[in-house]
Amino acid sequence: MSTAGATLRRKQKAEALVEVCSVRVESTLFGVPIDHILEIVGGARPQPVPLAPDYVGGLVHYRGDVLTTVSLRRLLDLPAREIPSDVLVLESAGGCFGLLVDSVGEVLRVSAADFEPNPSTLDPRRGALLAGAYKLKDGLLVMLDPQRVDPLRLGAGHPARVQSSAERASVRREPCER
Amino acid sequence: MDDLTREFLIESQEGLDRMEQCLTELEERPQDAALLAEIFRSVHTIKGTTGFLGFKRLEKLAHAGESLLGLLRDGKITADPPVITALLELLDGLRAILKTIEAQQNEGQGDDAALITHLEQLQAAARSPSPPVLPAKPARRAARTSQPRRSKAGAEPTPPPSSGFTAATPPPVAAVATAEPQPPESSKPAAVAHSEPIPAAAAPAPKGRATESASAAESTLRVDVTLLNRMMNLVGELVLTRNQILQTTAADPRMTMLSRRLDMVTADLRESVMKARMQPVSHVFSKMPRMVRDLCQSLGRRVRLLMEGQETELDKSLLEAIKDPLTHAVRNALDHGIESPAAREAAGKDPDGVLTLRAVQEGSHVVVEVSDDGAGIDVDRIRAKAVERGFVTSERATQLTEREIMQLIFLPGFSTAAQVTNVSGRGVGMDVVRTNVEKIGGKVEIDSRPGRGTTLRLRIPLTLAIIPALIVRSLNQSFALPQASLSELVHIPPEQAARAIEWIDDAPLYRLRGSLLPLVFLHRLLESGRECQLATDRDNFIAVLDADGRRFGLVVDSLADPEEIVVKPLSAVLKDIGLYSGATVLGNAELALILDPGSIAQHAGVAMSSEDESALSIDESTSDGAAKVEYLLVEVAGRRAAVPLADVLRIEQLPLARIEYVGTQPVLNFDGQLLPVEDAGAILDAAPDHAVAQVVIVVCRDGHRQVGVVVSHVLDVAAGSSLFEAGTGIPAGSVTLLKEHVTGLVRLGSGATIPAQPAAPADSSLLMEAAQ
Repeated sequence: MSTAGATLRRKQKAEALVEVCSVRVESTLFGVPIDHILEIVGGARPQPVPLAPDYVGGLVHYRGDVLTTVSLRRLLDLPAREIPSDVLVLESAGGCFGLLVDSVGEVLRVSAADFEPNPSTLDPRRGALLAGAYKLKDGLLVMLDPQRVDPLRLGAGHPARVQSSAERASVRREPCER
Repeated sequence: MDDLTREFLIESQEGLDRMEQCLTELEERPQDAALLAEIFRSVHTIKGTTGFLGFKRLEKLAHAGESLLGLLRDGKITADPPVITALLELLDGLRAILKTIEAQQNEGQGDDAALITHLEQLQAAARSPSPPVLPAKPARRAARTSQPRRSKAGAEPTPPPSSGFTAATPPPVAAVATAEPQPPESSKPAAVAHSEPIPAAAAPAPKGRATESASAAESTLRVDVTLLNRMMNLVGELVLTRNQILQTTAADPRMTMLSRRLDMVTADLRESVMKARMQPVSHVFSKMPRMVRDLCQSLGRRVRLLMEGQETELDKSLLEAIKDPLTHAVRNALDHGIESPAAREAAGKDPDGVLTLRAVQEGSHVVVEVSDDGAGIDVDRIRAKAVERGFVTSERATQLTEREIMQLIFLPGFSTAAQVTNVSGRGVGMDVVRTNVEKIGGKVEIDSRPGRGTTLRLRIPLTLAIIPALIVRSLNQSFALPQASLSELVHIPPEQAARAIEWIDDAPLYRLRGSLLPLVFLHRLLESGRECQLATDRDNFIAVLDADGRRFGLVVDSLADPEEIVVKPLSAVLKDIGLYSGATVLGNAELALILDPGSIAQHAGVAMSSEDESALSIDESTSDGAAKVEYLLVEVAGRRAAVPLADVLRIEQLPLARIEYVGTQPVLNFDGQLLPVEDAGAILDAAPDHAVAQVVIVVCRDGHRQVGVVVSHVLDVAAGSSLFEAGTGIPAGSVTLLKEHVTGLVRLGSGATIPAQPAAPADSSLLMEAAQ
């Protein structure tokens, strides 16, 4: 159990109800603490960035700035979609970034008492992104830790980046074929 | 920190900056009363305010300086170098204290006693040899300086001064100055002429200053740069929204007026915000006199610094960015450019060197020049050094032209070596200058003449936020290529695509005007596994790029419009990829990545052109017999002729009716300027006489004039080599070998053996010889 998860739990115990924005990727319901969200941009078509690390979903235009997005699908090793996606604009230490999800649902008020940390059987790679789950009546709300999906942090040691720079090197080395 | 103190710090810094500038000027014009008054005011203002704010240490130091400045202003002493050095030390002392205040809210515990004593000694030294006529002034001065001080420094518990007591209350310095000159008060008439303006100017000076700054404060405002940046961003956003509105409302006539108005207001707003970010280059230039002075002293040079175009404006961030390169360039000019006075005299030059800083706006660029009249670049030394360091082989080095040799000093590593071994020749850190300037989209040019001096030209874009770019497409995506590094575009139609590319092993090359251009396929670079092949079912485009001294062709799928783009920064993760320098939002709301030509060249392994054979084909010096020169190949009345490409300004196709005649001399009214037209092939006379007939005119440079040459067709551009007359080894002047044919040259600027134009013999400096 990481410290971030522990603080989250402690905080939630103090206040009985927590507001969480629910987002959906495929059939899974994820939750993002509402106080980290600056804005939600709907129906975005991110511009792909060639040679970018795998987890980068592309660029979107946000309030005069160009925002780098992290694709939740790619982080979960799901194939990319061509249809417009929703973007959660999240605050981070190095500015803002976008989290690309299939769709944004409603804001849920969940009770801290329903929180459970990540199970020990969870793949450690996934566990690094997730902060535990809330038990809802009709399923689980899996919590994402916004700090852990920050592209800066992902870039600083995520396997996706290593892979991409290796790929980059191979682009340079490979001779052109006629 | 309270607002009052912050305001005081900013104002004092500005005052000191002004003082620094004035001090260096004062060295040249020690008698300039206006300069002295300005310096006096700066120190006086600081002193007055510090007393109010309770900064005792600062006040004490400022007071010591003020006393000395008072003597200076009264003409009691002259501003000789030791005095100016002392004043500069005072300036540094004041700055240091201000810095401490800024950092820790108090003056710190430093001891200024040594500096104060030094300043006092200078005053005492000034007093001792004083002629008997002058003593009237110190009394006035003491009375004057103590007066405003007391009135401002309200916190100081000084007893109300009686007129007789005045002299004793100020600190010892002033007391010494005033104790002695009481008796000769009667000598007033002699002193009046000199001292008359002083009380008049001195007493109201603080007040005048106050009203002046008050009015300035009313009309100006300090704005945080981050706020300006944010405004710039918002304006960019507005521009984009406007573009979208214009596109969606184009069909609706009711919206036309409104959207047009929105368009205009947005454009104005954008311009105003950009203007708000501009600052005159004097902000950077003003630091130079002091630096030049200090460097001259440590290097033993004598240099006069001239500065021109200080009012030229540049974006604030760019101004910051050129500060370092400029400092470096000036340092370099003093260290390696201008010789020691002895060496200069030996060379028959004025022992005082001249260093000129010049800023001028040229279109969308600001050109900052640093030129010296020193020894110039020693080409042979650089050549030797480059060979020694292994940058070029020795046989290559002998082939390089002087111009190319000079480019070598920009190579990284070259400079440091020159510095370590102390081999002179303008090499110290020039790569840093170039890198820094190119980072902001600028260019560096160098020009040097042995014995006459060196000019370094920094070409800086007006603003960083908005750059002209060409939008290109590849992989179904738009990319922006900065125009600054784009030198030309080559279009390859589908039918030529199959044969256009040549290969050396696996390196694709394109033959551009006879030289081989390495090619980089953009889609291949961005997505591995793509083929390096031109499409045979559509048009192909090669963007010829020049970046960091590397020249290569970037193959793209298609070209879109050139656009002024607003540069948006990329997140660190994407910057690390190394190919993109930013992103932008296009007029159609599409996002585009901005390609960084320098990094692309590096990625693709394109070598610096100094090692690149292809860059060597252009050689403008015809002194070298075997040199290749590029020519524009034309056909004149069925015969081939050539014009040196360097002389060609442009090629115009226009209706025959545009040609008018002065007497029998054909002329062209070209943008309101009269262009003499030479028609050696009598094409104009033979031309069909109807309204739609067109003529092709090659506009050439002839010395400082321009001449139009009528040709039948423009054929090609080709490199020609000189022909030697059999047995003589002298290159034949009027012919060249172009594409295996001997071709006559259109020779400009010579007056001989022309089929002369009888109507305008003075004008006919044009010779056309069509051999073959």
